[in-house]
Amino acid sequence: MSRKLTYGPSFANGVTRRDFTGGIAASIVTIGLPTQSNAEPTPFKFGLTPVFLSNDLELLGHLRTYLASKLDGPVELVTRRTYQEITALLVSGQIQSAWICGFPYVQFKNELDLVATPIWQGKPLYQSYLIAKNDREIADWKGLKGDIHAFSDPDSNSGFLVTRALLAENRLRPDNFFSRSFFTYGHRNIIRAVASELAQSGSVDGYVYEVMRETEPDLIAQTKIIRKSEWLGFPPIASPKSLAFDPRVQALKQALVTMKNDTEGRKVLDLLRLDGFVVTDPTLFDTIAAKVEIVRQFG
Amino acid sequence: MTLIQRLRSIPVSYRVPLMVALLMVVISAVISVRVLDRLSRTQESFLDGLAETYLDGLSSAVVPAVLREDVWEVYDTLDRSSSSYKALAPIETIVTGTNRKVLAASDPGRIPAYSDLPSGYLARYSVKNVTIDTAKLLGFSRRDLTYQGQLIGTIHATFDVSHLFAERREILVTLLITNGVLAILFSLGGFLLVRQMIGPMRVLENHMRKATNGTVEPIAAHEFPKGDSEVTGLFEGYNALVHAERERANFAMQLAEEEKLSSLGRLASGMAHEINNPLGGLFNALDTLKKHGSTPGVSDISINLIERGLAGIRDVVGAALATYRPERSQRPMIEDDLGDVQLLLRPELRRKRQTLDWEVSWNGTDVLPIKGGPVRQAVLNLMLNASAVTPEGGAVSLKAVASAEVLTISIADEGPGMPSTISGILVDQDPGPAVRAGRGLGLWMVRRVVDELGGMAKIGQNSKGGTVVTLVLPFERENVGANAA
Repeated sequence: MSRKLTYGPSFANGVTRRDFTGGIAASIVTIGLPTQSNAEPTPFKFGLTPVFLSNDLELLGHLRTYLASKLDGPVELVTRRTYQEITALLVSGQIQSAWICGFPYVQFKNELDLVATPIWQGKPLYQSYLIAKNDREIADWKGLKGDIHAFSDPDSNSGFLVTRALLAENRLRPDNFFSRSFFTYGHRNIIRAVASELAQSGSVDGYVYEVMRETEPDLIAQTKIIRKSEWLGFPPIASPKSLAFDPRVQALKQALVTMKNDTEGRKVLDLLRLDGFVVTDPTLFDTIAAKVEIVRQFG
Repeated sequence: MTLIQRLRSIPVSYRVPLMVALLMVVISAVISVRVLDRLSRTQESFLDGLAETYLDGLSSAVVPAVLREDVWEVYDTLDRSSSSYKALAPIETIVTGTNRKVLAASDPGRIPAYSDLPSGYLARYSVKNVTIDTAKLLGFSRRDLTYQGQLIGTIHATFDVSHLFAERREILVTLLITNGVLAILFSLGGFLLVRQMIGPMRVLENHMRKATNGTVEPIAAHEFPKGDSEVTGLFEGYNALVHAERERANFAMQLAEEEKLSSLGRLASGMAHEINNPLGGLFNALDTLKKHGSTPGVSDISINLIERGLAGIRDVVGAALATYRPERSQRPMIEDDLGDVQLLLRPELRRKRQTLDWEVSWNGTDVLPIKGGPVRQAVLNLMLNASAVTPEGGAVSLKAVASAEVLTISIADEGPGMPSTISGILVDQDPGPAVRAGRGLGLWMVRRVVDELGGMAKIGQNSKGGTVVTLVLPFERENVGANAA
C-alpha cells in the first residue's frame, strides 16, 4: 500500500517541504554512538518522533544506554523534526524501529508491526486536548471558530487528526473553521504558541500536556483545556514487518516490556512519566483508524 | 552700573576667585559638552554594531522559515534570540513577509501573526542603522531579508536604549559634581592665594590711608612678610619715604621756628629801637625835672614829654602783644590790626629810610567778617619781605580795599622781582616743591593763611619796578550778610 506522506502546505515560489528537509536534516541532531569502524557491528537504529516531551539529552542518554545493554550492541537514536521523516525511514527499512504516532501506524499498518505500547496512568491510552489562552471565555470547541490554530504535525494523531476528524464529523474543515493554522512540530511548542498568543488555540497531546503541568506549571497555567477527546491508543513503538524475525527487534520488545524492572530503564520511565511498556493488539488503534476514515469521507 | 563696573566694584580678593569659578564653569561646560557628544557618538556606534550583529544573526536564522512562511519557526527563532542579545535589550522584533503581513512578532499578543504591520512602524526608520527616539528612549532598526537576490521579508526591531541615556545622565552628573568640586576648590584656593598675595598691599594701603589723615607711621617689622623680597623692598622703600618725610617736616618746622625767631629778632630790634629813641628824651626830661623842676612851666613840659614817650612805648609793646597772642587771632578784623602792622613796621622802615605808601579803604565799616590775627600776620610778613627787598630810601606800599564779599590787600615793593621758585609758594597749585626747596618760609606761612581763609594770592609787576603781591580774602559766609547790613 502506497500512501502520500506529505500533508504540509506547499511553499512559496514552488519550493516543497522536501526541498528543505535535505538542508534541515543536515542540521538536525543525530544522536548516536561515535563513528563506527567497519569491524564493529552495525548499530541498531531506533527512531524517535517528537511525540514525547522534547529532545531531552538526559533522557536520550539513559534510553540509549539501556537499549544498548539489552540489545547487547550499539544503538543509534535517530531523531527528526517531523513524523513524516521518521515514518519514511521506518517504512523504508532504513531504521529498525521507531517510536511513532498512532496515526502513521494505522496509515502504514500493513507495513509495520507493533513492538510495544507505553502505559500511562495504568493504560496504553491517551487523549488529545484542544487548548486556548486561559483568559478566554469559551463554552466549547465551537468557540474556537475563526482562531489562528496551532497543530503539532500533519502526521500527529493528537496534534492534528483528532481535531481534523472532529471538524469533519461536523462537516467542517480546518481552513474554513479556523482563520489560519500552522504546524509547530512539537507538542510543547503548541503550548508555547498558545501561551504567547501566537496561536489562539491549539491541538495538543494530552499526555504531554499533563506531564508539563508538573514540569512547567507556569507555562501550562497560561492555557486552559477546551475539549478532551476520547481515549485513544498511545503512540506505539513499531518496526517494519520485514524485520519481524530480527532477533534485535525481539530483544527490543523484551527490553521495553521489562524496562520497569531495570534501574536504567526506570530512569527512562521516570523521565517520561510512564509506567512501562506493554505488548498490545493492533485493534487498540482502531479508533484512530476510524478517525482517518471519517476524515477521508468528509474531507 | 554695567556688569563690568559691578564686577570692578567687587574687592579683588573676591573678584579673582569669582572669575576662577566662572572660568571653571565655562571650562566644565565645554568639557561636558565634548565628553557627552563623544560618548553619544560612541554609544550610537556601539548600538549600531550590536544591532547589526543581532540582525545579521537573526536574518540568517529566519530566512528559511520566512521562505516557508513558517510562523512557528519564525516565532521560535525570535523567542530564542531575545535571550541571546541581552546587551542590546531587544524589546520587540517583528518579521514580515513581502506583502507586509506579519509572520511573527516577539509579542504575538500585541502584534498578531498574519496581521498587517501597523503603519506607524514604517515611519520609525531613517537611513541610519539605528534610529533613536529620545522621548520614548527606544531605538529602531530594520533589515530586509533577501534570498537569491529577491526580497522575501523584513525584520523590524525595537530596542530599549534607556540604559544609554542613563549612562549619559550618570556621566553628566559625575562631570557636574567633579567640575563643581574642582571649581569650589580652585575658587577657594584662588581666594586664599589672592588674599595672601594682596595681604602686604593691604598693609601698605592701611598705612597710606592713615598717612592721608595726617598719621604717617612706618610699617612695623613684624608686618614684613617673610621670604618675599619684593614686598620687603617695597615696605622698606615706604618706610624710607616715611622717615624722609618726617625729617623734612622736622626740618621745615625747625626752619619755620628759626624764621619766626629771625622775624621776632628783627621786630624786637625795631621795638628796642622804638623804645630806645624816646628813652633819651625821657631821661633828658627827668634831668630837666631834677634840675629845673621847680621852675614854673618846665615841670609840666617835662612831665608831658615823659608821658608822650611812655605812651609811644606802650603802643609798641601793645602791638607786639596783639600780634603774638594766639587767643586774640580768632576775633574779627578791625582797622587797628593794619595799624599795628604799620606800627611794627615803622622801625624797619626808618632804619632803611624807606617811605610807606598806606591806603586803607574799609567801605565804611569798623569790623570785617574775617579772622584778624592771621590776616595781620600775613600782611606783616609780606610788608617785612617788601621792606627787605626794597633798596634803602625806596618806597613800599599797602593798599587794602574791602568790598561786599572780599578784602583785597596789595603790597608793593621796589625790589628786583620775585624769583619763580619763590613765587610758586604763593601761587602754585601745589606749593610742596617750592617749600621743599627750603626757601621763603615767610611766604609759606602767608600761603597757609591764605589757604586757611579760602582765599587766593596773585603776584604782579609794580609799575615803579618791583613786585606787587595781592591777597584776595573772602569774608566768612555766615557773616557776609551782617557785614553788608
